[in-house]
Amino acid sequence: MTTYTEEYRALVAQTGGGQVTEAFRREVAAAVGPGGLISEPAQLRTYECDGLTGYRVVPALVVLPVTTEEVAAVVRACARHRVPFVARGAGTGLSGGALPVADGIVIGLARMRAIRSVDVADQRAVVLPGVTNAEISAAVAQHDLYFAPDPSSQVVCTIGGNVAENSGGAHCLKYGFTTNHVLALTFVSPDGEVVTLGGDAPDQVGPDLRAVVLGSEGTLGIVTEVTVRLLRRPEAVRTLVADFPDPGSAGDAVSDIIAAGIIPAAVEMLDELAIEACEKAVQAGYTLGCPAALVVELDGVGAEVDEEFQRVQEICRANASTNIRIADDAGERARIWKGRKAAFAAMGRISPDYFVQDGVIPRTKLGSTLTRIREMSDAAGLRVANVFHAGDGNLHPLVLYNGAVAGEAERAEHLATAIVELCVEQGGSITGEHGVGSDKACSMTAMFGPEDLTVMARVRAAFDPQGICNPGKVLPTPRLCGERPGPYRPHPLEAAGLIERM
Amino acid sequence: MSVTQTHGTGVVERPGSVAEAAELLRGSTGPVVFRGAGTKQAWAGRPDQAALVVETGGLAQVLAHNPSDMTVAVGAGLPLRDLQTLLGGAGQWLALDPDTEAAGATVGGLLATGDSGPRRLRYGALRDLVIGVTLVLSDGLVARGGGTVIKNVAGYDLPKLLYGSLGTLGLVAEVVLRLHPLPSASATVTAPVPIGPAVDLALRLRASALEPAAVDWADVDGGLLAVRFEGTEDGVAARRPAVLDLLGAGAGWHTGSAEDDVWLRLVGERRAEDGTTVVGAGSRPSATADVARALVQAGEASGVRTRFASQPALGLHTARFDGAPAAVGSAVTDWRERVQAQGGTVLLRDRPAAVDGGLDALGPPPSSVSLLRDLHRRLDPQGRCAPGRLGSWLPSPTAGEDSAT
Ligand SMILES: Cc1cc2nc3c(=O)[nH]c(=O)nc-3n(C[C@H](O)[C@H](O)[C@H](O)COP(=O)(O)OP(=O)(O)OC[C@H]3O[C@@H](n4cnc5c(N)ncnc54)[C@H](O)[C@@H]3O)c2cc1C
Repeated sequence: MTTYTEEYRALVAQTGGGQVTEAFRREVAAAVGPGGLISEPAQLRTYECDGLTGYRVVPALVVLPVTTEEVAAVVRACARHRVPFVARGAGTGLSGGALPVADGIVIGLARMRAIRSVDVADQRAVVLPGVTNAEISAAVAQHDLYFAPDPSSQVVCTIGGNVAENSGGAHCLKYGFTTNHVLALTFVSPDGEVVTLGGDAPDQVGPDLRAVVLGSEGTLGIVTEVTVRLLRRPEAVRTLVADFPDPGSAGDAVSDIIAAGIIPAAVEMLDELAIEACEKAVQAGYTLGCPAALVVELDGVGAEVDEEFQRVQEICRANASTNIRIADDAGERARIWKGRKAAFAAMGRISPDYFVQDGVIPRTKLGSTLTRIREMSDAAGLRVANVFHAGDGNLHPLVLYNGAVAGEAERAEHLATAIVELCVEQGGSITGEHGVGSDKACSMTAMFGPEDLTVMARVRAAFDPQGICNPGKVLPTPRLCGERPGPYRPHPLEAAGLIERM
Repeated sequence: MSVTQTHGTGVVERPGSVAEAAELLRGSTGPVVFRGAGTKQAWAGRPDQAALVVETGGLAQVLAHNPSDMTVAVGAGLPLRDLQTLLGGAGQWLALDPDTEAAGATVGGLLATGDSGPRRLRYGALRDLVIGVTLVLSDGLVARGGGTVIKNVAGYDLPKLLYGSLGTLGLVAEVVLRLHPLPSASATVTAPVPIGPAVDLALRLRASALEPAAVDWADVDGGLLAVRFEGTEDGVAARRPAVLDLLGAGAGWHTGSAEDDVWLRLVGERRAEDGTTVVGAGSRPSATADVARALVQAGEASGVRTRFASQPALGLHTARFDGAPAAVGSAVTDWRERVQAQGGTVLLRDRPAAVDGGLDALGPPPSSVSLLRDLHRRLDPQGRCAPGRLGSWLPSPTAGEDSAT
């Protein structure tokens, strides 16, 4: 079987090809105000990578516009000169989505940080793309409102980045992802046209263009304004941490909670290594040496939450939970979450280096997948810590290694890739929230076939026929990825044992 | 097996598999329309005479249901009500309650039309529940987007792109969906109030911690507001005092068959009777009263009888027009201008064919229309998919034009 169609090859072969000339530089400088252009080599280097620090490319220029019109003028200059551009928010992305393109420019949105308006009655706010995720909730807290998507990086990452990555967070099992909380976008298309996608009304007439831009990782255009949906803060929130003798029992407890018809606001799991790292970093009160801990949070109407919180505790006990810690107040709850949200960074406490992996499996495959990961980790002689969103099967295995030991980084990278391909084999996905970016573009063929990729390439070409908008991300470049059909199967639904056949 | 019959001048085909559907499209030319149960063939513009009608009735299987993962994969032609019956056995449902469920509306058709019902307030629209799709393009290309797990950001979100596409991008052949547990208890509170106070109450309910599942209003006996709550027995009962207090004198608490009757009555207020023109609209929730007032004004200006129904907490509305076709056409146009001036959207639904004579079915295009055209040109290069459905927004292809670039 071929991996790519001829049409696909032709479509992704378009990648700008223009040069950053003196004339281009002048046009861009004229498009932005003073301080809006960075060309000092030392300063350019601060933009050479995002949160995926293994890949680095120094951009030819960095532009920091402050208005939609400035963004559009810069993009028009890029389009005229066929110069590739890469949008950038806070640079916390973990898949190399904001990795610069050689001979291209970076358009940084971090200076566009105003909250335009808050409409309390209609529960929405209009914000510029550089506003951080946490700032939105902080700005509307006085009205008992909040922005539901809560990536662990929320204090730093921008709403523009959240839109581009369709970011999730611990609470997306119940409340959904960024795509479910964005009503409208002001959008600069790769030819520099400014359009509105979505709008005041819940639905627009015709195909949902807003939806295809959400999660497109900056490859379809630049988002310069976002209308977000806000939610009323729930009346009651209850949080517990339950310890289990092994990850399998914890996984069974999650399944039983869901089977009881309860949709928790969040269900997170940490394994022994992850707990050790978190405790060293922030002393959040998790039980050291416990093989698996579940953080379960319920929210909603008080009477309902009380009833279901009792059920959850019974279910945990029935699944051999060895200890249940209940957060008595908001401070205690914050401590529990601080531990969980610090998990990635905390790995530095137990290992000199680590890869953060992101993959999804059907939740019911949790136990067997964790066992397989353990076996793969043993075989590779590398430790793997697991911390993940157990409710929706979104795993974050952290592959620990020492970069100073020759060959260990390569082995670790290999293991991380093997784990994500295991997720696909289980009927899951190569990414649940960190995106494809440059990191996983070659793994797209593990999930999608030649025709699927062709249609995605058509979508991209419709927005960006010149291939200047974040080229090389999301869709695999055949030249770099090779002919690699991978474990792709014609129809994943039919994979034996994956899903019960009717 | 594919079933072929001729209908008017167009051929009606009923492919029995995705491969057959792809073969059919690859091996044919000319305009094609897709049809599920046919409950919304009139929505938006009327397509040109089709050379081929592809019915999805042969793609109506449940492909996979995994109760523990709360996901289901189905053929696009599966009627929603059949799916709900099957899922109900496992204590689950697809959290969608469109009015056309009873008329046999199919899952694929519901996705392509972006239809929803009152409980969208709590569960979102099909846009929020779809996690994967198999799409057949007019040139026979078969593409999957999304996946089979509830969390997934790999590749472009084709499933959601198709939401509301009205058959203009290609055939929705298979759909993968996220499911919810059936709530163990439900109750509905009603209050006799006109639209103005109803909108205030809807906004106050949204601003409260009561978490209503649905808020619906129709023009029966001077106005009927209905608020539904779902959850556990205790959770639903606990809301009773606060909501009765909020809705004031005349409020009633209904459960069981009395509750069902309330909702049947409200659905009746949105249904198309013979000769009626039905138009859907969306706006900011707080603009609902203005949208209602604009309807009265538009009706009066053209001498047309109008009726308004609304889900004011969502900002989704239904207007019905009765009168001479030309007058209805101008009343619809007038109302649409007023709603769009508020930032809202309007979508024509059922109507007598004569109404279309004096009316631009789509109205002025949005600012994104050139992106829409570019996308359409790439996915349906020959412009075969329901030409005319989006009226002037997606002009029918001109013969001889090179449409591939
Ligand atoms: C410690 C840590 C924890 C994390 N936890 C989570 C988590 O829980 N959940 C989760 O989903 N992610 C998580 N992430 C990943 C990351 O924070 C998110 O992907 C975030 O949305 C990126 O935002 P950013 O502003 O940093 O974007 P960047 O990294 O700057 O950019 C990300 C992508 O978005 C594009 N982009 C940025 N701004 C725009 C714009 N205005 N218009 C168009 N495209 C744009 C870029 O081109 C790039 O492709 C975590 C990262 C870290 C470092």
